[in-house]
Amino acid sequence: MTDLSSSHMISTFFDHELKAFWRSKNTGKSIAVKVVMGILIFILFLYVLALGLFMDKIVHAMSPNEDLTVAFCGIVLVYFLGDLLMRLQLQELPTLKVQPYLHLPVKRNSVVGYLALTALLSFFNLWPIIIFGPFILKIILPASGAVTTIVFIVSIIALSIFNNYLALYIKRKANLNGWIFLMAGAFLTLITCGDYVWHLYSLKAISYLFFGNLIIKPYLVLLPLVLSVAMYYVNFYYLKGNLYLEELSSKKDVIRKSSTEIPFLNRFGNIGDLVANEVKLILRNKRPRSALIMGLFFMFYGLIFYTNPKIGEGFKVFVGMFMTGIFIINYGQFMFSWQAGHFDGLLVSKIKFTDFLKAKYLLFTIVSTVAFILTTPYVYFGWRTVLIHFIMYLWNLGINTTIVLYFANRNYKRIDLSKGASFNWEGVGASQLLLSFPLILFPYVIYLPFKYLGYTNVGLAVLAIIGVAFIITRDFWIKKLEADFYTKRFKIAEGFRNK
Amino acid sequence: MIEIKNLKKVYNGVTVVNVPHLQINKGESIGLVGNNGAGKTTLFRMILDLIRCDSGEVLSNGVNVAGGEAWKNYTASYLDEGFLIDYLTPEEYFYFIGGLHQQNKAQVDEKLAGISEFFNGEIINKGKYIRDLSKGNQCKVGVGACLLQQPELLMLDEPFANIDPSTQFRLKNILKDQNKNHGVTTIVSSHDLNHVTDVCERILLMEKGVVIKDIATGSSTLSELEEYFGVGQSNAAYVVDKEENH
Repeated sequence: MTDLSSSHMISTFFDHELKAFWRSKNTGKSIAVKVVMGILIFILFLYVLALGLFMDKIVHAMSPNEDLTVAFCGIVLVYFLGDLLMRLQLQELPTLKVQPYLHLPVKRNSVVGYLALTALLSFFNLWPIIIFGPFILKIILPASGAVTTIVFIVSIIALSIFNNYLALYIKRKANLNGWIFLMAGAFLTLITCGDYVWHLYSLKAISYLFFGNLIIKPYLVLLPLVLSVAMYYVNFYYLKGNLYLEELSSKKDVIRKSSTEIPFLNRFGNIGDLVANEVKLILRNKRPRSALIMGLFFMFYGLIFYTNPKIGEGFKVFVGMFMTGIFIINYGQFMFSWQAGHFDGLLVSKIKFTDFLKAKYLLFTIVSTVAFILTTPYVYFGWRTVLIHFIMYLWNLGINTTIVLYFANRNYKRIDLSKGASFNWEGVGASQLLLSFPLILFPYVIYLPFKYLGYTNVGLAVLAIIGVAFIITRDFWIKKLEADFYTKRFKIAEGFRNK
Repeated sequence: MIEIKNLKKVYNGVTVVNVPHLQINKGESIGLVGNNGAGKTTLFRMILDLIRCDSGEVLSNGVNVAGGEAWKNYTASYLDEGFLIDYLTPEEYFYFIGGLHQQNKAQVDEKLAGISEFFNGEIINKGKYIRDLSKGNQCKVGVGACLLQQPELLMLDEPFANIDPSTQFRLKNILKDQNKNHGVTTIVSSHDLNHVTDVCERILLMEKGVVIKDIATGSSTLSELEEYFGVGQSNAAYVVDKEENH
């Protein structure tokens, strides 16, 4: 094997990578999911493409008094600053997959080269080209000629490659020392604040300084090129010097873990213990934690809609449901997959499934109550807004919890808790897609007829009554769900065992 | 304790478990041996109602385990890491399991103190989540949680596989003690014939899903098993093996 050329080895790696993708259990046996995912990605792509195609119009609308090219040149570096921030949060390190090759007679340069190259296969490297490419072809090419166009495009590609490797380098460093990530974040924030808050300098001016001069002096293209190549090699040699498993892996747990208790939950007995475990599950694992944090961001959802006077009250039903129930939806849609790793253990231990379900209801109730309390400042938009939130809070506790748990019985996909949340499709299946329909449609099915007949208050009252009715009859639904679970548990447990 | 009737499991047309009848009495210590794919783990899972059997039933104390809850009160088991809640610390996990059996923290602590030698100072108060422990230490947590439950039936799937020699030795003593002094029925699978013949009074040998041998452990059991597993080995090598064992 040692005499195989490096490039041959890299193509073998690619081949393995493709096989890993297609043969992965998560790549989805169900074609429907693939199609929907494909469509979603395609729509996102179209949006970005539209952004690129209409960039000239957008730039003109944003700064109508400025010359198009000048305004454009001012944007590019600002974009790349945001791009770096996005990458730091979302871009995945192509790392652990090399583990099976490290002990084989494969040259280190091949492994490192492969890692460095696959890092380029990220959607993040496509966006700058789609966003800026059309503008450059439409505006710069006719105005400044072919040479300028080429150096612009090369600069943009070089900058995104630079960003690509810089982000990965910071992330790799941060794996060894969590502070580095915070420092990088703080540094980027400082740079941004320096312009937009303290007005010490102007990023737009700096951006124009480079790209404006690039039109006159095309040889300046060497600057981003040298930067990107340098960053590539910094990455390459860093990786080569640190090709050890413990440093490659994404574990950065060095802090001593302490046992925690949640005294409030003790009063609920076994059910409380189950909830305490689930709270720990959420707080101690990346992906559920980000589901919770996402939920916190949703608390601002109302600000987007309520500040717009054109949006009527009917929308508050929707917004209220999301704000008080985002956790039920966001976290609940992957039930019981979160516990896939120890589902067998749960099944054989002395836990009644009724208690297991009651624990879910209790968890949902606690988090939704907190969410409702957090949304009370929306009283600024009138007491009626808070009333609608409260009605939807009851609706969430009554209907949506039950819907989510009904679909949980139909979810057979394992989730690996150790993996991050961004672009992680693991555990996503048809049940999540189906789930969204009743969640979004049901309240409207009931509310809208009343609204159009002119009895808005009656509509709201009916929503509240149904919510309360379901809360009161909860034990009945728990029994139904339990009976349903017993017909499906083998399938669920088997699905969760499939890694 | 356990009675198996006409138990069958078929995957893709291949019968992986086929046990027409098997009776395991209270207080017996059962060793389950067989090569990979013999159906040991599948049998374990069916006894624990984790997979659906295609036909037949498993009775635990006379009650069908499928869909039942009663057997969970007196059955403790550890098959693999999938039985552990890996984002908890070992202590949190023990308190949780203890809580399910109405034990308070003090009681759990007391029981854990009793098996501290088995833990060898590597489990309690280490400041680690279970997921960050080695496989051997995870196994200790799993076995510890089983003992905590003071079961009448204890089922372990290859418990000797990942633990160090000292722990293997201690585990064997624990199993013997549980069986002899506490009347616990134990079912243990293992690839280590020495361990299994040492600990268990009755050996079940499985091949392709079928229990082909059901023998009371005696002085000749080990050599009998070695003869079975030593397929393809020359006679001479076999004789040498035998001498080494004396």
